[in-house]
Amino acid sequence: MKKLLNRVAVLAIAGTVSMGAQATTPEEDRNAFNKLYKWRFSGVPMEEFVNGAYAIDPIGRENWEAIEEFPPYEPFIDEGEVMWETPFANGKGYKDCFPDGPAIAGNYPHWDKEQGMVMTLPLALNQCREANGEKPLKYKKGSITNIVAYTAFQSRGQVTNVVIPDDDPRALAAYENGRKFYFTRRGQLNFSCSTCHLQNTGMKVRTEILSPTLGQTTHWPTYRSKWGTVGTLHRRFTGCNKNIRAKPFKAQGEQYRNLEYFLTYMSNGLELNGPGARK
Amino acid sequence: MQVNRLYSVLLVTALLGGGVGTTLAADAKAADPKVVEVQKMIDGAEKARKKAASVDSEWRDTGKFIKQAQAALKAGDYDKAMKLARKAEDEGNLGYQQGVSQQELHLPSYLKY
Repeated sequence: MKKLLNRVAVLAIAGTVSMGAQATTPEEDRNAFNKLYKWRFSGVPMEEFVNGAYAIDPIGRENWEAIEEFPPYEPFIDEGEVMWETPFANGKGYKDCFPDGPAIAGNYPHWDKEQGMVMTLPLALNQCREANGEKPLKYKKGSITNIVAYTAFQSRGQVTNVVIPDDDPRALAAYENGRKFYFTRRGQLNFSCSTCHLQNTGMKVRTEILSPTLGQTTHWPTYRSKWGTVGTLHRRFTGCNKNIRAKPFKAQGEQYRNLEYFLTYMSNGLELNGPGARK
Repeated sequence: MQVNRLYSVLLVTALLGGGVGTTLAADAKAADPKVVEVQKMIDGAEKARKKAASVDSEWRDTGKFIKQAQAALKAGDYDKAMKLARKAEDEGNLGYQQGVSQQELHLPSYLKY
């Protein structure tokens, strides 16, 4: 009964999720996603999904493996290490905000009860900067990718384990809003995230194979050949929305943070392997 | 001394004359019924864009078309401005309809629970 009441409270808070929505738990959602991908790509082991389209595209994989021999994201990791080790103007540094060290990517995204919002790694890094009198970094490209690349590299091998706490219905509401975003059609092409990355995974859009949702959050930041540099997950969200001719939302705004919360939960159990390299 | 005063008077007259001329030209342009009509269309497009944005469903190019329409109006290319404004208003209205149609979450049938 308590669970049911919680659910009703969450749906009311979520607002945009109608009361007619199918009431499923996050774990049920994740199992349904897993079941679908297992059925569609029966020969692909679950742990392979961290490699995105290269888990299901043998030719693309050959190219990618060749690229990974001399990873294009390495200089960004090195720059990030310098940032991590360099104190701010007030003498403190990232180390003071994150005393457990740079291997912290596995802790994000998480529900921040105090702030009542989904906390992501780039946002936490910027909050650290601002608390120490430094200007926040831009969220899509530039220096932010260096420090995130360094923390991601140090966090390799950690297992995605997003938790939706029971003691704050706003956390589940944020998850629900992220899920709603994922299934909402938008833009002139009238596509949702699920249109490409769930319904048509493995199919081609022009020459590109559409990657599965599972594993999409494990390898950020990513060096994309198209960008010629490393970019953040929210930069990729922006690109996706532009591709379907929808006006993108603000990087690290509520919509994208909730989407990240949902997507990362779907990848629970998969290893972090960032930074990544993609076409 | 008197020559200087004469120059000053001439300069002030010229500036005032130029200013009045410019103001009159701008007023004439603003009063042009075609300009008023096109501006009304652009305002309508902007209203439609905002309506789509209110349901998180603004399309990528709507704002760009409105800016281009405003620039075309300024350049006196009324036909181009009207065409762009019409396109932007259509996009705004369609975006809003799309946003409203997506208010309810419907999980796809191929996702088996």
